[in-house]
Amino acid sequence: MARHEKRVGYGLPTLLAIGVHVAVLLVTAMRWPAGEPEQNTSSIVQATLVSTETSTDQAQRAEEAQAAARRAEQEAQEEQEQAAQREAEAEAEANDEQAEAEAARAAEQQAREEARQQAEAEAQRRAQQAEEAAQQREQRREEQARQEAERKKAEEEAARKQAAEAERKKAEEEAQRQAEEEAKRQAEEEAKRQAEEEAQRQAEEEAQRQAEEEAQRQAEEEAQRKAAEEARKKAEEARRQAEKAAAAAEAARRASESSLDNLIAGEAENIANARQAEQASNSFINLVRGAIEQAWILPPRAGNQLRATVRIQLLPTGELANATISESSGNAAFDRSVLQAVERAAPFREMRDLPASAQRQFREFILDFNPEDARR
Amino acid sequence: MNDSMSIPHLVMNASLVVQLVMLLLLAGSIASWIVIFQRSIVLRRAKQGHRAFEDRFWSGVDLNELYRETPAEREPLGAEHIFRAGFREFNRLLPKTRSSQAVLDGVQRAMRVAWSREEERLNLHLIFLATVASASPYIGLFGTVWGIMGSFQSLSMAQQATLSTVAPWIAEALIATAMGLFAAIPAVIFYNRLSAQSSRLLGQYEDFAEEFHSILHRNLQGRGEREAA
Repeated sequence: MARHEKRVGYGLPTLLAIGVHVAVLLVTAMRWPAGEPEQNTSSIVQATLVSTETSTDQAQRAEEAQAAARRAEQEAQEEQEQAAQREAEAEAEANDEQAEAEAARAAEQQAREEARQQAEAEAQRRAQQAEEAAQQREQRREEQARQEAERKKAEEEAARKQAAEAERKKAEEEAQRQAEEEAKRQAEEEAKRQAEEEAQRQAEEEAQRQAEEEAQRQAEEEAQRKAAEEARKKAEEARRQAEKAAAAAEAARRASESSLDNLIAGEAENIANARQAEQASNSFINLVRGAIEQAWILPPRAGNQLRATVRIQLLPTGELANATISESSGNAAFDRSVLQAVERAAPFREMRDLPASAQRQFREFILDFNPEDARR
Repeated sequence: MNDSMSIPHLVMNASLVVQLVMLLLLAGSIASWIVIFQRSIVLRRAKQGHRAFEDRFWSGVDLNELYRETPAEREPLGAEHIFRAGFREFNRLLPKTRSSQAVLDGVQRAMRVAWSREEERLNLHLIFLATVASASPYIGLFGTVWGIMGSFQSLSMAQQATLSTVAPWIAEALIATAMGLFAAIPAVIFYNRLSAQSSRLLGQYEDFAEEFHSILHRNLQGRGEREAA
């Protein structure tokens, strides 16, 4: 009976109640993300199944797997690329540092080089100046020497010119004489050649005229000969045709004589063929009938008076193409049983053993059924 | 599952009416849980107190001593309250009247008043639990109906209605019903449990009052015979 028993406050219950709600909220918030990964397929509503063979969603799964693989590959590629990039960056950084160090070193070296170069250049310049001075002096000396040499050459030239002048005069005279002689000789030769040419031309013309005349004559002769030959050939042709016609007439006469015998022989053969085909077809039809009757399950309440006619279409391989009731028995169950029997008995492999003519006959044929046949 | 179907996201995206309904249901749920915890504690303590008092009462202690033992300044609870009200009335009436019947009537009246007060104290707020239990499913259903109504109104403007366009609306509408049930189910269970506990306690108080009344009656009877002799 302590004092705290007197009143129960609302503080603790409130705390407890809020605690309960927070716990429930946390549970709902935690459970929902946990159950999410299997929702990924999203293929329940969009059923895009095409093939009837793969009735499961194996194809889809395979596709998904492929997609996943592709994605993984892409990711891997991306990662690789990123790695490569990172490497490249790192390398670049390293390169940068190296480059800086190198640059510093290079700058130092350059400075040293420059100093050295300057010194060298200075030395070179001085050397050059000295050389130039020496060259100039030499040049001046050479110039003097050349001028002297030229003066001497000019004197010699003058002496040579005088000598050459005298020689030229003599040569000119000689040349004039020779030219005159040459001209005389040329004129003579020219005249002789012209005469020869004239003679030749005349001879040629004569020859040409003679040749033309000859050709004309020959052509005329040729034409005459050809015409004669043609006429002969035509005549021969006509004779041959006449001979052929005569032969044909002879053959016709002979053929008409022997046709009766042929006809009789063919008839006999045809009859033999037909008999063979008939035998084969009879055996085939009996086989088909037997097979169908074996497969026939009569409906329980079918009377003996029922009779149905079935039109059966077969493929050359003996497989059933189509079977229809062409004349109903009036009993739907009976008709159905007949059709089912035909379908069950197919294919009729004996069809392949038949001769071609019989096969054509049995592409489509009609069978009639009545229960008495089956029970016999 | 994408982020747009998580419950907090759905609640935030719901329409105003649905959000109000959810708020109301959340408040009702919290209040009902406060009542549940508070009543549980109160009833447990009342039970413990009643057991302790009965042990003490039936231990053969003198009633005057028991009456004096409890301090007067604090309000007594439970069976003790009934005992004190009856005994005080008895002591007050005894010198004033000679009729034992009048004394017993007065004592019974005082005890009935005390019992009634105890009943009111024990059943306090249980009616609230009953209200939450019966009303919150309807409130949640109202929120759901309103949300689906809104979803169909907006669906009429859409060009083509696929499942993915309807689903978020219906999901967020159904959250209201879920919250209503979430508030109602504990309220129903604990209302039944707590009201059963309190009615059992009140029955025990009533038994105690009858027993005490019979004791007083026996005493009066004995004294009346002595006076008559």
